[in-house]
Amino acid sequence: MTTTALPVVPAGTPPAPPRAGRGRAGLGERTIPYLLLAPAVVTMLVLLGWPAVQVIAISFRRLDLGELVRGEVVWVGLDNYRAVLADPEVWTVTLRTVVFTASVVAATVIGGLLLALLMRHIAAGVRVAVQICLVLAWATPILATTTVFQWIFDQQYGILNKTLVKLGFDSFAGYSWFSSGASTLTVVGLLIVWQAMPFVCFTIYAGLLTAPKELYEAASMDGASGWQTFSTVSWPVIRPLVTLATFLSLIWDFKVMAQVWAIRQGGPDGESTTLPVLLYLKGIAGRHFGVASAIAVLMILVLLVLSIRYLQLLLRSKEGDLS
Amino acid sequence: MVGVASIALVTAGCAGSGGTDPGSDAGTDEQRTLTVWLMDGSAPETLTTALHEEFEKANENVTVKYEIQEWNGIQDKLTTALASQEPPDIIELGNTQAPAFAAEGVLTDLTGDIDALNGGQWLDSLKASGEWDGKQFSTPFYAANREVLYRTDMFEQAGITATPTSRQEWLDAIAKLEAKFGSSKTFQPLYLPGQNWYALLSFIYDEGGDIAEKDGTTFTATMTSPEAKAGLEFYKQLVEASGTTAPKDNDEQNPEQAGIFGQGEVAMMIGLPWEVDTATKDKPELKEKISAFPIPSKNAGETAPVFQGGSNLAIPVNSANADLAKDYLKLMLSDKYQGMLAEGGMVPGASTDLSALEKNAVSKAMADASKNGRSVPATPTWATIEAGQNPLKDMLTAYLTGSKSLDQATKDASTALDAAFSAS
Amino acid sequence: MKRVALNTIGVIVAVLFAFPTYWMLTSAFKPSGDLLTPDYDLIPLSVTFDNFVSAFTQPGFTVHLTNSLIVTLGAVACSLVAGVLAAFPLARLRFRGRRGFLLLVLIAQMAPLEALFIPMFLLMQDAGLLNQLPSLLLVYFAITLPFTVWTLRGFVQGIPYELEEAGMVDGLSRFGAFRRIVLPLLGPGLVATSVFAFITAWNEFLYALVFMRDSDKQTLPVWLSTFRSVFGTDWGAIMAASVLYALPALVFFLIVQRKLVAGATAGALKG
Repeated sequence: MTTTALPVVPAGTPPAPPRAGRGRAGLGERTIPYLLLAPAVVTMLVLLGWPAVQVIAISFRRLDLGELVRGEVVWVGLDNYRAVLADPEVWTVTLRTVVFTASVVAATVIGGLLLALLMRHIAAGVRVAVQICLVLAWATPILATTTVFQWIFDQQYGILNKTLVKLGFDSFAGYSWFSSGASTLTVVGLLIVWQAMPFVCFTIYAGLLTAPKELYEAASMDGASGWQTFSTVSWPVIRPLVTLATFLSLIWDFKVMAQVWAIRQGGPDGESTTLPVLLYLKGIAGRHFGVASAIAVLMILVLLVLSIRYLQLLLRSKEGDLS
Repeated sequence: MVGVASIALVTAGCAGSGGTDPGSDAGTDEQRTLTVWLMDGSAPETLTTALHEEFEKANENVTVKYEIQEWNGIQDKLTTALASQEPPDIIELGNTQAPAFAAEGVLTDLTGDIDALNGGQWLDSLKASGEWDGKQFSTPFYAANREVLYRTDMFEQAGITATPTSRQEWLDAIAKLEAKFGSSKTFQPLYLPGQNWYALLSFIYDEGGDIAEKDGTTFTATMTSPEAKAGLEFYKQLVEASGTTAPKDNDEQNPEQAGIFGQGEVAMMIGLPWEVDTATKDKPELKEKISAFPIPSKNAGETAPVFQGGSNLAIPVNSANADLAKDYLKLMLSDKYQGMLAEGGMVPGASTDLSALEKNAVSKAMADASKNGRSVPATPTWATIEAGQNPLKDMLTAYLTGSKSLDQATKDASTALDAAFSAS
Repeated sequence: MKRVALNTIGVIVAVLFAFPTYWMLTSAFKPSGDLLTPDYDLIPLSVTFDNFVSAFTQPGFTVHLTNSLIVTLGAVACSLVAGVLAAFPLARLRFRGRRGFLLLVLIAQMAPLEALFIPMFLLMQDAGLLNQLPSLLLVYFAITLPFTVWTLRGFVQGIPYELEEAGMVDGLSRFGAFRRIVLPLLGPGLVATSVFAFITAWNEFLYALVFMRDSDKQTLPVWLSTFRSVFGTDWGAIMAASVLYALPALVFFLIVQRKLVAGATAGALKG
């Protein structure tokens, strides 16, 4: 088979996918996309769609523990939303969550991209070592990582302060990393980036691997520089994946709860509270599931706004194609 | 001891005998299953084994399905279980959580059964936790309170002949220990992290103050009262006198104080009796050098009132076996089984007989102080406060690190508590 | 020179990423009392296996491990199959409803799971699946699926369509070309997505806790949490248990890594 003479695909012009049902395709071929999608569609509609619709419905109900146990349905209209939105703290928290998410996503994606590119250019042994370390970071259970991070950053006994003092930064003796919201969120952010970067890195690295070797050979025959090779060969292949990783990181980091909670429960003085923590505190801990659902809906709306650019691309592009 | 010995995660495999739940058909001849949820570490296994044997013997057609629950995530698990078609028949609730469940009307009203359930001997603070709107929705189970754990050998070497019985004597002891061992940089006469709010409550109660004032079912925070401020000042005095290197921005569990105590460079800590086991896990020889005394009061010769933690027992309102469950509670709260709780190292919630605890100095100190036990405001909103952002902890850190003045810190805490109390 | 510099950076990155895990590992071998000391203890001075003994003797490890493996591997398998099936038409075919489906996949990932657990619980109760492992398998399948579909679609798009065209010129059908040319190239993508799905399902705690009433049906995250109680937390044992807990994920990664990446490279060369 001959695939050596493939042209380098110019960036930004993905090949138009063929239309199912074109030409002599019959009814069978026209239904094939739907058949292929059926398992995914059914699963998502039943197991995610239906509960999500319920969450929206619950956001218009009063559903405390009592109502839940008695099976009562009490509609309260917009009361939950009014209660949530009337609280000035909600706006502060929303803004804080957006800024926090943006920083974490940027750090994760840029770091992951650089690391993936690095992995292509290092010795196989080092690469395997890096990969294993990444998987370890990824696979370590949250209970252990949050604890270990607390130990590392501990005011008196933490190894970080001890190391900094040894290096001559004496002011870090007994330094409290959790005395303000910003500092606490920085530690939480580090923890999240540390755990999230492996996925981004692996995804992008996997993308780099799928780029056929022939394209690189062709590029080097043309005498392309490192940057040119990246922008003409690597980037077109990984671009959808980078966009994708950004988008997925955005969704996950926006929703991340366990780590923020474990480090300081959103403290001190509520200064590191993010929207999911607020949802837990106002909704779940007090068993006001109507309020929790209203905050959940609010979170989805904020996420939709944040990802509007991506959604626009998705909806406007002719083929519904993203690259 | 408790909490370590009873971790066995054994479910009654024979329960249900046939796999289906007979709860719905409560016919007298039917085989019935009583589902009991107790928390990990609460009732010793010897107690539950004997109790369930006796209960099943007394009720021939009944099987007890005993399931030990973990504290982690218990709120979510209870929520869904209570709403499910097969709720457990007996549940254990943390005493600070109990009011939240009572106020939601998801527990069976036990007001009429108080006398039958050994009500005359109930511990006041736990009884109060089970009350809502004048009715009793949960019964006391067991309690525990903090005490000062100390190293007898260090006290001896420092020339402290009697355990402190007043705040002044306590501070004197700290000074003597410091004088004797202070040359070691890592030595701490008293390990006291910045956020041990249980200890703070004790000091505030001792001054005659409290967290909040109760008026019917509404609560108003009283952290700005002179009593509360005096309690905070004493906390700071202790921290400064002892020169503790414990973090000011964290509590006694992070890092775990027992582990630090166990390293042998700490003479005292404010903790629970079973922390001795944690502290001496790797050094059993240390155990006999640890004893305890109640938290001293500002008034010489008295012990300070203590925050009482513990559990209540309740019957979910949806239980299909409420009658059986009441019989079960009756047995559990009888002198026999309450005595076994005391044997296991807990302050029994429904028995005034503490003799089993007095055999050992560490649990005796707890028992002595338990007569003067208090709890947090019995409001459903307290569960949320304790679940996460406890303003008392933030207040302590801010005051101890000097980032806020005493007035500012207490004012902010009061505001935050009031906001939490009013969130319904 | 440049290579040496890059390799050095690689080693530094590896060390940074490994450090917290290393800390977990050394803590697992330290006597409980030594977890936090005033000394500088980068390398543990005394080593003990007590923590591992505690971890192993905590009841239920093998049962919970089996349960976890069943639901996790089951969910990963379902997710990959449904994901690959859906990724192909989404990336390569045009059909009515495609955008609608893409939107569904996108929005499906946005709902916070903490808010979904009540409706999910009621759904499983109605389906009679409570206290049964399939309920968890289904939930993990569902929560990993949108991601899997979306990511695999991205990977398929990243593979130049010309490769398939060339295959079709050589006489393969469209699906034949997909199966013979694209699928092998998807190997690294399958590794990334399956490891992700594995770890997501492996770590899930809330649903496992509320769906499974019987303790012998619980999964490892719930087992791990049993070390932590109000009556004292055995941190040394938690770290030892966490090491045991993290191992299967690492083993899984190493297996799929070898199988799939090797497959992909072979496929690309043959192609």
